[in-house]
Amino acid sequence: MNLKRELPTSTISGFALSGLLVLTILNILLHNLPQKIQTAGDALLKLNTQEGVANAVTTVVVYFRGFDTLGEIAVLFIASLGIGLMLQANIQCDIKAESNFMLKTASKLLFPIIILFGIYVMVYGHLSPGGGFQGGVIIASAVLLLLISHKEFEVPHAVIIVLEAFAGVAYVLIGLLGLLVLDIFLGNFLPHDISQMGMLVSGGIIPVIYIIVGIKVGSEMSMIVQNLIKRSNDV
Amino acid sequence: MIGFILLVTFIGIVIVAFFAITQKRLADAIILLMGVGLGNVVLFFIFKAPDVALTEAVIGAGISTLIFLMALKHLGECR
Repeated sequence: MNLKRELPTSTISGFALSGLLVLTILNILLHNLPQKIQTAGDALLKLNTQEGVANAVTTVVVYFRGFDTLGEIAVLFIASLGIGLMLQANIQCDIKAESNFMLKTASKLLFPIIILFGIYVMVYGHLSPGGGFQGGVIIASAVLLLLISHKEFEVPHAVIIVLEAFAGVAYVLIGLLGLLVLDIFLGNFLPHDISQMGMLVSGGIIPVIYIIVGIKVGSEMSMIVQNLIKRSNDV
Repeated sequence: MIGFILLVTFIGIVIVAFFAITQKRLADAIILLMGVGLGNVVLFFIFKAPDVALTEAVIGAGISTLIFLMALKHLGECR
């Protein structure tokens, strides 16, 4: 079957898109970036110091826009659910071929390192670039490596169910606790002193929430990857 | 210096993207699309958004390429 015939990609539209991209780039390069524009972001960055978190992006994502993050987690859950529902339908082909020797040996060496890096990115999300989403996806890519290298490996379903349910419930419970203590949903009720900024334990609930997000994203992405690769004949 | 790196990356991204959409074989197009993602990582990093750069490196260049390749493999063998 020819997929290219069904998806019309004409050369003219390609040229038009490329030209538009080049014009945008030249515009950015020729004019310097605007120096000072007062936006909502600046106001939020001024508030950032109150929370005692070194990475301002994390404060915005998890604290100031914490409710949006809850929505994003729900969207990811629905996507994972949809992939699971669609792919287990009526497909009867098992495409897993035997992987070669190099991949098998290297995956044994690399798997713990990638997992460790994912956990590092997840736990240090409030101090350095990174966070729950990135760390979760790195962990899922380690699972993907194991899935394509070992034919018999399978993500343990019971563990994933427990982790994902725990993470989802814990996020909402932390939000409700904030509502109970401070009258704000997802309020920062744990101690977050400015003098602790830069320490591993700082910022109150923000690192806790990012670790929860990381657990949820990691388990969901692992299930998505497994569904795509295994195509589960046995379900 | 930074401007020169930016210019080279921009032009490289445009060239790689053009080859990606004019490629006959879909697997080659997917690999070239990953090249666009890697160029984006450099751009995000230079524009002082390391968080976005990390996300793009993991999702745009890593997981999504593998998912595209898996989908292509399924399309080729299951019809």
